[in-house]
Amino acid sequence: MAEERIGVYVCSCGTNIAKMVDVAAVAEFALTIPGVVKASGYKYMCSNPGQEMIAQDIHDNGLTRIIVASCSPRMHEGTFRGAIKRAGLNPYMLEMANIREQCSWIHEDPVAATEKAKALVHAAVERVKFQEALESRTAPMCPSTMVIGGGVTGMSSALELADAGQQVFLVEKQDHLGGNVARLSLTAPYLDSAQDVLRTWISRVERHPNIRLFLNTELIELKGFNGNFKPKVKTEDGTDLELDAGSILVCTGFKEFDASKVAQYGYGKLPDVITSFELEAMLKRGKIETKSGKLPRYVSIIHCVGSRSEEFHPYCSRVCCTAGLKYAFELKSALPDVKVSNLYTDMEAFGKGCEDFYLKAGAAGTSFMMFSKHQLPTIRAAAPGDGCNMLISFKEQLSGEEIETPTDLVVLMVSMEPREDAGKVARLVNISADANGWFIESHPKLDPVATTTDGVYIAGACQFPRDIPESVTQGRAAVARILGKVAQGQITVDAVYSEVNPKLCAGCKACFSLCPYGAIEFDEKNHVSNIISAVCKACGCCSAYCPSGAIKVRHYTDEQIYAQIEGVLGS
Amino acid sequence: MAARVNPNLIDDVKHYGADDVVKCYQCGNCSAACTHSKGEHVFPRKSVHYLQLGLEKPLRASLDPWLCYYCGECSDQCPREAEPGETMMSLRRWLTAQYDFTGISKILYRSGTSELIAVLVVALLTGIGFLAFGFTQGGGNLAVYDGPGAFLPAHDIHIFDWTMGGILGLLLGINCVRMWYFTMRGEHSVPVPLSLYIKHAFTIVVHFFTQKSFQECGKKRPWRNHMILMFSYLTMLILIMGFVKQMQAGPAVNWYVHSFGYLASAGLVVMAIVMVRGRLNKDESYHQHTHESDWMFLILLLYVVITGIAQHILHRIGMPEAANIMYVLHLMGVVPMLGLEVPFAKWSHMAYRPLAIYFSQLQDAALAEGAVPLGAPAKAQPVA
Repeated sequence: MAEERIGVYVCSCGTNIAKMVDVAAVAEFALTIPGVVKASGYKYMCSNPGQEMIAQDIHDNGLTRIIVASCSPRMHEGTFRGAIKRAGLNPYMLEMANIREQCSWIHEDPVAATEKAKALVHAAVERVKFQEALESRTAPMCPSTMVIGGGVTGMSSALELADAGQQVFLVEKQDHLGGNVARLSLTAPYLDSAQDVLRTWISRVERHPNIRLFLNTELIELKGFNGNFKPKVKTEDGTDLELDAGSILVCTGFKEFDASKVAQYGYGKLPDVITSFELEAMLKRGKIETKSGKLPRYVSIIHCVGSRSEEFHPYCSRVCCTAGLKYAFELKSALPDVKVSNLYTDMEAFGKGCEDFYLKAGAAGTSFMMFSKHQLPTIRAAAPGDGCNMLISFKEQLSGEEIETPTDLVVLMVSMEPREDAGKVARLVNISADANGWFIESHPKLDPVATTTDGVYIAGACQFPRDIPESVTQGRAAVARILGKVAQGQITVDAVYSEVNPKLCAGCKACFSLCPYGAIEFDEKNHVSNIISAVCKACGCCSAYCPSGAIKVRHYTDEQIYAQIEGVLGS
Repeated sequence: MAARVNPNLIDDVKHYGADDVVKCYQCGNCSAACTHSKGEHVFPRKSVHYLQLGLEKPLRASLDPWLCYYCGECSDQCPREAEPGETMMSLRRWLTAQYDFTGISKILYRSGTSELIAVLVVALLTGIGFLAFGFTQGGGNLAVYDGPGAFLPAHDIHIFDWTMGGILGLLLGINCVRMWYFTMRGEHSVPVPLSLYIKHAFTIVVHFFTQKSFQECGKKRPWRNHMILMFSYLTMLILIMGFVKQMQAGPAVNWYVHSFGYLASAGLVVMAIVMVRGRLNKDESYHQHTHESDWMFLILLLYVVITGIAQHILHRIGMPEAANIMYVLHLMGVVPMLGLEVPFAKWSHMAYRPLAIYFSQLQDAALAEGAVPLGAPAKAQPVA
């Protein structure tokens, strides 16, 4: 190994580090480590003067490797890699010693903390000696996108992409577009027709030259990686078709909760207990009647059916409160004499225009009755003398009274839940789902439409219950991400990834089940595993487990780790 | 037994004035703003909600609407302009109609036209009756106003007053018994021992004369105005029931009765004008909504006071014919005003309010003594 000239830079981070760690003493100590030719302390290494200092020293002293002892690499590794790259060094010639989060912030003894900082710096110096110059690579970015799901989210996203001049493959499992919105009559809170909303999009999707629409089609396999996916679909005529797509946008939506699971409501047994979607169908037909063909005089809308329940779904389905208010208007306009009551646990008419909608529903004569989610209302058939179809009994929370209210038609506001095949889709495109089955985003705020698999995005009600405006907004956010990647024209593959040494690999495939990213494929010809570097995130699971020691993680080699351990122990 | 919801109740009570009750979303600001809302009596929120729900029976058994004096603080605080004060007012009208066994109250309150027709019919019958009486049984000569041979002899008027008073008292009394039955003997009411009834009886008198609960309201002016109005009425009542002969005598002024009459008339005129102006200008939240029955009450009041004063003046200035005609016109106002309002409408509150305070005190006292409301689950017995 050629003689290395290492520079060590110890940051005070204002007082964040300096208040607990003697920065000057650490720098002084660093100079005693073989290979270190330059060591300095500075108030803020991440500042422009701090970065300038490193660049100047590289130039003046011929430094070949750099240690920055400061905060977590998650904070400023990129900053310092950029700084040394500009000064002519390979960015992987940098190592950071975290003496803030893992030292000054968590210790109370300045002497011991300073000793620990020295040990961390020593470890970094020993490690950096074994670091190799690495280069990130680029791969071509296929500009086309596969959108899975032809509901409002999928259609609006597909149109945005297509209008931007990109090829879209829109895959819909059913024989028509529109998803769950196609089952609705009017939309809240402005009572626009759902059909009008859909018609605009459907006619454009069907005619758009950049959209290839696949109805009755399902994704059956997804190979490839970010920018270069090879999705395989089973089309309506039963043939398998492999396509090229740089990005995958999952918009598979939701399904409704099975109301018969709530025994108290008698859904499936009492003929005039229906779900919100069944009422939507009645409203679309323009005929609201009981099973016996009579006009209902009293309609009761029960909220939170399956939602916010310890037994069924713990989450709030978000759209049902406003939908329930919407029914009050629709029912009143269809049957002016009908009495509508809302049985709710909490009224959460969130969203633009919805609070006003709530106020108007009350002013239109809808009554609101509150029940406890721990004591659900029970519905029973009424006796002939009661003058109604059914009676709902429960303890009304705001009056404290045990009441029974007459009703002719009960509408259950069923919760939204993941589709039955959501798990299958998640496995196919290699994304995760939470405990309730909703797809998980990369970060709820920093990266809300991306997933842990690069190039796979999620939008709409497959991620969590969403209303139409939110779903469309999310879809377009995902489109912005995709078009951003397409504009770059290529994808950058990180230089840090795992590699299989084919000479050592026994082809046991043990690594397959460990890889969380589906980055490992099998080379049948040579009977060895192969890691797709563009998919690999360098987590190290495969490398740590491989019984043959055939897998190496670049930038985390055994020599580097052993040197680091020796360094931390040797100070 | 679960209380059965009557989904049509809210529409029914709308006829009594409760237009904005549907806007309420149960935040409870109104109850927080109200000085009288405490303990078992949380209102207006609870009354408003009972009405929204259509809980007819519990609402009929509730005393809460009578504990409210409509100072309007609650309506001022309401974030949704649901007018809780007006809802309480409407509920008092509705309760009055519930207590009334004849059903006349319902007709008067639910339709302004019906009320107008009723007033006009009673007025007309009164006018015809007194004219017929004057020409046949009375003096027969319109030119004699007082003394022997008077067109309407004071003695006969005196008998008429007491007869009418008796009938109205009886009607109101029956309605009061019904009020007691609904509120104190209902499905979930608190059993109250007789001893408590006796012990607290004086409450009725105190509250009747002082309306001291009204004084505790956030706004003081309504209490003051109401006191002036009530004492003017009371003075007039005493003068008419006890001193109608002296009142009718003249043309010299009998200062020992007339001076009280002038004071009371002044009180009534001033207050009637203040109230009409307040309702026209909508100066306070309690004047924002004026039910048809409120206008009828004020119009009758002004009419009766003005015709009363006019007949007095006409008599004094030596115009006995005009005075007699004005007397008949005056009675044509008095009889429908008292005859309809005392047992069936607004005036009945003079009995219902003090009774409600009395009953609620009885309930509180009984609960304090360990009484258990009927139908409530029995208290857990200590395990031996």
